[in-house]
Amino acid sequence: MTMHPRAADFPQSDLPGVIPHESELTAGVRIEPGRSYGFFTDTTVCIGCKACEVACKEWNNLPADNLGLTGHSYDNTGALSANTWRHVAFVETSGCGGVRDTVEAPFQSGWLMMSDVCKHCHNAPCLEACPTGALFKTEFDTVVVQQDICNGCGYCVPACPFGVVDVSPVDGKAHKCTLCYDRLKGGLEPACAKACPTDSIQFGELSVLQARAEERVAVLHERGVPGAYLYGTPGAPGATGDLGHLNAFFLLTARPEVYNLPAAPTRPANRVAPSLASGLAAVAGLAVAAAFLLGASDRRRS
Amino acid sequence: MPVREGVVTIVQESRFQLVGDDGSAHLFILGRNAAGEADQLAPLQRRQARVRVEYARTRNLIGFVAEKISVCGESGR
Amino acid sequence: MTTQYPVLTEGPEPGLPRPDRASGAVAPSPGPAWDGPTYYGRAQLKPAPFENAVVGGYIFLAGLSGSSAILAAIAQATRGEEAGPLVRRARYTALLAPTLGSALLIYDLHTPSRFYTMLRVAKATSPMSIGTWILMGFSGCAILTAAAQFAGDRGVAPRAAGVVARLAGWPAAVLGAGLSTYTASLLAATSTPLWAAAPRALAVRFGASSMAAGAAALALAETDAPTRRRLETLTAAALAVELAGDAAAALAYRRTGVAPATRGRAGRVERFGAVGLGVVLPLGLYAARHWRDRAGRPEDGRALSVAAGLAVLAGSALLRVAVMGAGDDSAARPDVSFRFSQPDNLPPGL
Repeated sequence: MTMHPRAADFPQSDLPGVIPHESELTAGVRIEPGRSYGFFTDTTVCIGCKACEVACKEWNNLPADNLGLTGHSYDNTGALSANTWRHVAFVETSGCGGVRDTVEAPFQSGWLMMSDVCKHCHNAPCLEACPTGALFKTEFDTVVVQQDICNGCGYCVPACPFGVVDVSPVDGKAHKCTLCYDRLKGGLEPACAKACPTDSIQFGELSVLQARAEERVAVLHERGVPGAYLYGTPGAPGATGDLGHLNAFFLLTARPEVYNLPAAPTRPANRVAPSLASGLAAVAGLAVAAAFLLGASDRRRS
Repeated sequence: MPVREGVVTIVQESRFQLVGDDGSAHLFILGRNAAGEADQLAPLQRRQARVRVEYARTRNLIGFVAEKISVCGESGR
Repeated sequence: MTTQYPVLTEGPEPGLPRPDRASGAVAPSPGPAWDGPTYYGRAQLKPAPFENAVVGGYIFLAGLSGSSAILAAIAQATRGEEAGPLVRRARYTALLAPTLGSALLIYDLHTPSRFYTMLRVAKATSPMSIGTWILMGFSGCAILTAAAQFAGDRGVAPRAAGVVARLAGWPAAVLGAGLSTYTASLLAATSTPLWAAAPRALAVRFGASSMAAGAAALALAETDAPTRRRLETLTAAALAVELAGDAAAALAYRRTGVAPATRGRAGRVERFGAVGLGVVLPLGLYAARHWRDRAGRPEDGRALSVAAGLAVLAGSALLRVAVMGAGDDSAARPDVSFRFSQPDNLPPGL
């Protein structure tokens, strides 16, 4: 990646303040309200360093949770939760029965690593489910929980098809990745993407990222990785069932389930009308039956 | 209930960092039953006020639950 | 790529009472739904953080109140003064959801002091928002109806009170129909596999179970034998509809591959408690009572009727709690959620 020309304006180590539109220098994109931003996570270059997890916790002042070891390869984070908004999944593809191979074929990696995050869905089920309006779409087309409104009803938790949103039992509010809403407003790239040392996590404008991802898939196919595909771009797995597209999408090389992702999630709000209509029809039918039963002239009495 | 005094240095939503006189920093989360709302935290950080936090321990989490925050020299808030 | 990993049976530490679901790896129960890879057997979805007994209890009370309001309006319209005691009891029963039900809902919030933020928006995509407004409207109408009934009974402007009760009773009945069924769409409009697998059948089950519970509760308190018979016939009809809904749901569970989630404890409660005790047993008891009536011994049947009514009420409550529990099981099991989220389960056209 070439240096941004404006980077030469800031040679000193000690800066007086935040560089205006810093994201131009770090991610090559200017952050402006009204446009769609997201993450492209290219799992083929993820090295599993968990810098994204740490950067996220540092910036958002999130406590370490889920203490202890899981025994699941190097994944001791486990899953996304109220206090963990980036989660690196580790899958060992060599060996079997959970026993790692002692030798590795030359130049081959036996690892699949993926930094999971809130997908910031286009038709976000959590947002559609939220009865308080605490979840909203920001001016950057991301999905954020407003902590001063959330009352901890927890309905967004089962609504999420990816198991991302979580209610914290400590403060009683729902939490999830905000795509660093505060940083975006200040012209900064989200913390995880900025910290990623291999550019596995790329932040940018959605259309640009999607085009870049298509190119990357083509390159990988050419280089002999026929299994590479996108998860969460329009029409691809993960963006099924009327979810539209995912603003945080992924390049994967194995089945989605391997990374703990659903192959074909759906939009829960589409089930409201059929369910409500059938229930009301059943009750209406029984109400008519009740009218006939209660209203029929009483033969026994007369 | 244990108490810790210090200066609020970072505030994010309902989470804040308190730096004590010995320079040690601790992460606190405003409890669900705490007296006070999260939007009262940011002014404390801006003022760099000395606060007294009554807190409880948490399970499976490196952080404390703040139950009551009072600005030193003032009565409870 | 298709390496099978051993399934984790214990997390790093035992779960919390309201578990921090990040550590919520579970041991799948018998009957794998998905034989492909999972991520160390970890849950792919997060189960709803509801207290099942509390929210299930609310759903039961909402159904009972909603159908009571419907029956009050219908009895008033078709029988008039003759059904006075029945209408009075039904109007008072309808107060369960606005009072106890609302309290249960607020109790289940993780930040109960902010319950009022539910009232700042109205959203058609969120059954919980729809339900909030249905409950608000229903509460207003049901309380007005019951207050007018109370005033009329105490002789305070009886004619005006009767008119008010009748006028407020109709919107209460219409909203009561919503109150009895929106809870099913609240569960169906989630990503929890078991709830999402059969949105229509679940709503029919909840709606019919509500009607059965309302009619059974009113029949239990009814002193006029012919009216009681009619209410019991209505209960039996509602139970038959519920049974059809149960069968449709079971078929949908099998077709979409979520059936293994119903083989746990909650699923057993649903089968034996909700369907066995709550539907099949009362249907049998009502049939036995009917047979005794035919045999000319109507008074023998009273005990059967009471037993049947109590079984219907218990089954209706168990249905809601068990469906919620089985849904949590389905969300915690990656084999079930992965099977459900396969492309063959996508709605047509999407």
